[in-house]
Amino acid sequence: MASLITCPHCGQRPKEEFTIKGDAGLARPAPDAGADVWYDYVYLRDNPKGLHKEYWHHSSGCRRWLIVERDTVTHKVHSVSDAALAKLGGAA
Amino acid sequence: MPDLPTLRPALAGEPALDSTTIALQALPEGHLLQIMGATERAVVEAAIAAAGLEGSDVREAGYRQWYVVGDKQLSSKTLRELTSALPAGTFLSDQSHGRVRIRLSGPHATKLLSTGTAVDLHDAAFPEGRSAITLFGHLSVHLTRKSAAGFELIVLRSFAEALYEELHAHAA
Amino acid sequence: MSSHRLSTGGQIDRARSVKFTFDGKALTGHPGDTLASALLANGIQLVGRSFKYHRPRGILTAGAAEPNALVTTGTGGRTEANTRATMIELHDGLNARSQNRWPSLGFDIGAVNGLLSPFLSAGFYYKTFMWPAGFWEKVYEPLIRKAAGLGKASYEADPDSYEKCWAHCDLLVIGAGPSGLAAALTAGRAGARVLLADEGFAFGGTLLTDRDARLSAMLAELEALPNVQCLPRTTVIGWYDDNVFGAVERVQKHVAEPDPGQPVERLWRIIAKQAILASGAEERPLVFGGNDIPGVMMAGAMRSYLNRQAVAPGKRVAVFTTNNAGYRTAADLEAAGVDVAAIVDPRATNEPGWNGKAKVLTNACIVDALGGKSVSGVSIAGASGVQRFEADAVAMSGGWSPVIHLACHRGAKPVWSDTHAAFLAPERQEGLSLAGAAAGLWSTEACLSDGSRKAAEALQLLGFAKVEPAFAEADAAQPAATPFWFAKGSKGKAFVDYQNDVNLKDLGLAVREGYGDVELAKRYTTNGMATDQGKLSNINAIGILAEARGVSPADVGTTTFRPFYTPVSFGALTGASRGKHFQPVRKSPLHDWAKKNGATFVETGLWYRAAWFPRAGETTWRESVDREVLNIRKNAGICDVSTLGKIEIFGRDAATFLDRVYCNGFAKLPVGKARYGIMLREDGMIYDDGTTSRFSDDHFFMTTTTALAAGVLTHLEFCAQTLWPELEVHFASSTDQWAQMAVAGPKSRAILSEIVDEDISDAAFPFMSARTVSLFGGKLEGRLFRISFSGELAYELGVPAGYGESVADAIMQTGEKHGICAYGAEALGVMRIEKGHVTHAEINGTVTPGDLGFGRMVSTTKPDFIGKVMLAREGMQASDRPRLVGVKPLDPKASFRTGSHILSDGAAATLENDQGYVTSSCYSPNLGHTIGLALIKNGPERIGEKVMIWNGLRNEFTDGVICSPVFIDPENEKLHA
Ligand SMILES: [Zn+2]
Repeated sequence: MASLITCPHCGQRPKEEFTIKGDAGLARPAPDAGADVWYDYVYLRDNPKGLHKEYWHHSSGCRRWLIVERDTVTHKVHSVSDAALAKLGGAA
Repeated sequence: MPDLPTLRPALAGEPALDSTTIALQALPEGHLLQIMGATERAVVEAAIAAAGLEGSDVREAGYRQWYVVGDKQLSSKTLRELTSALPAGTFLSDQSHGRVRIRLSGPHATKLLSTGTAVDLHDAAFPEGRSAITLFGHLSVHLTRKSAAGFELIVLRSFAEALYEELHAHAA
Repeated sequence: MSSHRLSTGGQIDRARSVKFTFDGKALTGHPGDTLASALLANGIQLVGRSFKYHRPRGILTAGAAEPNALVTTGTGGRTEANTRATMIELHDGLNARSQNRWPSLGFDIGAVNGLLSPFLSAGFYYKTFMWPAGFWEKVYEPLIRKAAGLGKASYEADPDSYEKCWAHCDLLVIGAGPSGLAAALTAGRAGARVLLADEGFAFGGTLLTDRDARLSAMLAELEALPNVQCLPRTTVIGWYDDNVFGAVERVQKHVAEPDPGQPVERLWRIIAKQAILASGAEERPLVFGGNDIPGVMMAGAMRSYLNRQAVAPGKRVAVFTTNNAGYRTAADLEAAGVDVAAIVDPRATNEPGWNGKAKVLTNACIVDALGGKSVSGVSIAGASGVQRFEADAVAMSGGWSPVIHLACHRGAKPVWSDTHAAFLAPERQEGLSLAGAAAGLWSTEACLSDGSRKAAEALQLLGFAKVEPAFAEADAAQPAATPFWFAKGSKGKAFVDYQNDVNLKDLGLAVREGYGDVELAKRYTTNGMATDQGKLSNINAIGILAEARGVSPADVGTTTFRPFYTPVSFGALTGASRGKHFQPVRKSPLHDWAKKNGATFVETGLWYRAAWFPRAGETTWRESVDREVLNIRKNAGICDVSTLGKIEIFGRDAATFLDRVYCNGFAKLPVGKARYGIMLREDGMIYDDGTTSRFSDDHFFMTTTTALAAGVLTHLEFCAQTLWPELEVHFASSTDQWAQMAVAGPKSRAILSEIVDEDISDAAFPFMSARTVSLFGGKLEGRLFRISFSGELAYELGVPAGYGESVADAIMQTGEKHGICAYGAEALGVMRIEKGHVTHAEINGTVTPGDLGFGRMVSTTKPDFIGKVMLAREGMQASDRPRLVGVKPLDPKASFRTGSHILSDGAAATLENDQGYVTSSCYSPNLGHTIGLALIKNGPERIGEKVMIWNGLRNEFTDGVICSPVFIDPENEKLHA
């Protein structure tokens, strides 16, 4: 866990302002992707040691969903980006 | 038909506080409009000018979101005019009743705010005119520095009493 | 008992005296005293009894690591147990009591535990657990509970207030000794935002003990720098991720009567760009027989009491030292006129430069301190055998351990240094560097220089150009330290962990029994597990284990340092979140309206909701609720539904978006209409339900349940921002913008027609209409919805929140002639059960739309929506899933409770026979008996089947029958009236 997250919109804030959802590496499958792919998406999660991308919601701030890349061993945050902007390929 | 309905401010029963170190008061429930989708402050300022609201304050309220704030109550007609003055892809939600403004000022204002928010309120880091949405204690608030020692907080109406009383208790 | 205060010297205000009591005895001290120094000045050496053996204990240290001198202070709700006398600033009215003694401190029956010590040795707890269980429960546990322990907590509420706050700085300096002061001065002069915290009430550290003439100018300069904030009485307790530090400031722990406008303690959370740990070093006790007898003290502590508070520890002091600290103490004692019996040094040669009167015995050890409640002498083993010296106090110094706790709170491992004979932490970590004695530098000049240099380095990392160190480079060369773990040949108990009564033999036993690993030995002996967390004892325990195992301390390693550095009060951790401010209260805009109409409120989450509105003569809640329900179905009622979540949804793609988050279709919802929507989770289970209305092509208005208002908005934002960022859709929570009232009952139209300007007849405003309307002849605008939770002809009217009370008053006024009543959440609940409408009692996370009878609502044409794929799984569509039905008792006079399980008629009450359970139930005043909704296997196919309704908790059995979940108006005639 990190104590502080630097929101690309709001700046450095304590973790209490955020809500964590989990793995940001998962892509929602197409409706016809097949049962196994959907099962993985809905139920199966990795528990990586080291770098991990997670969705963090700035729930008590700007209410944007962020992608936080952090190290689960050292707790160091490597990057924080706006999820929507990252997916659209735009700059935060 | 019953009489004209009357407005009851959320903090009507709360006493103002005015000491040498802290002043606390509920601000008039005028207008507070949430604008979504506008990328530039100028877009919002142009729209409010077109609707004749030059006196209103435009404040950042998150990614592509703005609050237009002022003491005057707006008619439905004015709101419709403002809505139509906004460019395509920009939307307005009237929050004039949904959110309540509280003014906090005085030499101890920064110290009092630091009991609840982790935003760095040092003059250099949070200068006049800057806004932040942040957690104050248990509550999410929109905070703006209005002057060196003057702040305005915007809070959900349902939590206004709780926030005001908490500030009042700790300002004493 | 005579005064031990010297006639001159010290940093105390002799002109003023401070009155305090210890064990009821009235005593005096001076400003500048701690409780410990004041007790010593009054000749009181015995201040407590030990945890296990009830041995007499005195004051060992002058600081935060004190293991022995634990006292209880304050009275009533201010009672505080286990506080360290060495850290309590003396103040008028201080009431301190010794602990763990009975009947008195001087005569303690528990001391017989010492005679039982063969049974109370290391591993005692583990071994006794293996004895017959009855023996433990009946004999040992009661005995130990009575005999062992520390102070007692109060049952009274704490009358004082506490506070938390955030702080930001460029540089946090932890510790205001020479290194910390030099660092703060260097950074302060450079214009950086500096926080300087020290756990003591006076800044200076060893500069105070040394009576260093430079100190006052340094403090004056820091005081004058506006960018430097000094925090005395502030202990930094933890180092957390991203350079956040926790600290506790004891704001008013040193005043007789706290100012109620100020907290007594403040918990700081400090966000520091850089930090310097200048926490100094802890002097190491020596392990020899009787090293716990009152009068045996750390050499540095003795010197501190002598120089800072002008207290002489005794008349004749024996000094036992492995380093120059003992010599410094001996010199200052002699200068103050105190005899030094001898300096005992286990090293081969004495400290260079000693020119005092006292004789130095090298290659010698104190093997035993002699005495009971005070020291009467020492036995010294040296070249010429064992000789006895008269002494009434012993100063000991086994070397120094850098205080590196904070530097290891984030996972760094201490590393053994042979030259320091100590464990060191990494000198530089990201955001934190160690300075001075904390980094293993022992001389004042080296510390001043190191603190300056580390501050300059830290500021350079922050981009400060050219920072001038406050003190010049100094020679950091220092002699190698000599470790000395214990004196051989002691007769008495030689304590390692004073607070937990762990002695040398216990550690030897642990090694012999196979628990020589540092973590195992800790748990086997309890060494380091007391409130001081082994600040003094861990290092000696490691050395002793190493020697017993024949390895280096490096191979033994340390246990893990974790926050907090010193104990923290619950008050400080709680802060202001207590009583009224424990959590915020959330009030509807109609709260005061409900209150003046006599509502009884219920807490639902943070909201206060009107539950029912009792009238004169009604004595039970059921009477009120039954009356409200009957009246609504006959006339009309008004209910505050403002707490339902409300979300404005804007954007070109709003309709597309809603189509994807609801399982039923919304894209074709006409403007001016509302539709009931079901939102699924991605696993196919129902997440939430509510109505969504369309006000224009690109503006929808969604309602959610009260419970999931925040959750649904978060879910929508997640979908819009992470799943489909290409859609143009915006959300604004408007829960607080609208005062929302349900007006229900056959007369509701007549009542609202007097307020709403537009035609609201069934033809003009049919079921599921949703429009902005004009009210009071154009004086106000509101939103009107023809929706019904009760099953009656009903409307929901939303008006801007500030007008809510006034509009509700108007509705009550116009409704009076129609027999309107106010109703609350309970009546609402009864009516929705009567109508078979579901809430989160039914939407319990395991139900599909089909389970609740909404199967046909689920779109088969939409290509995709949240939950579509997983809902299609075979098991989600199985007919024997628990599905929604009604249940009622066979005998109308019988009743059952929510949560009861359903058994097939005649089946035994077992888990295997479970058919489902009652999700909601109530007494229906319209039907005159209890009704329930239930999720029952194959439910809809079993209507009419007789079942047993079983409440296993209360062993109640009710004969019942499965029925339709719609108990009232199944043809919806009322709804469409
Ligand atoms: Zn943010």
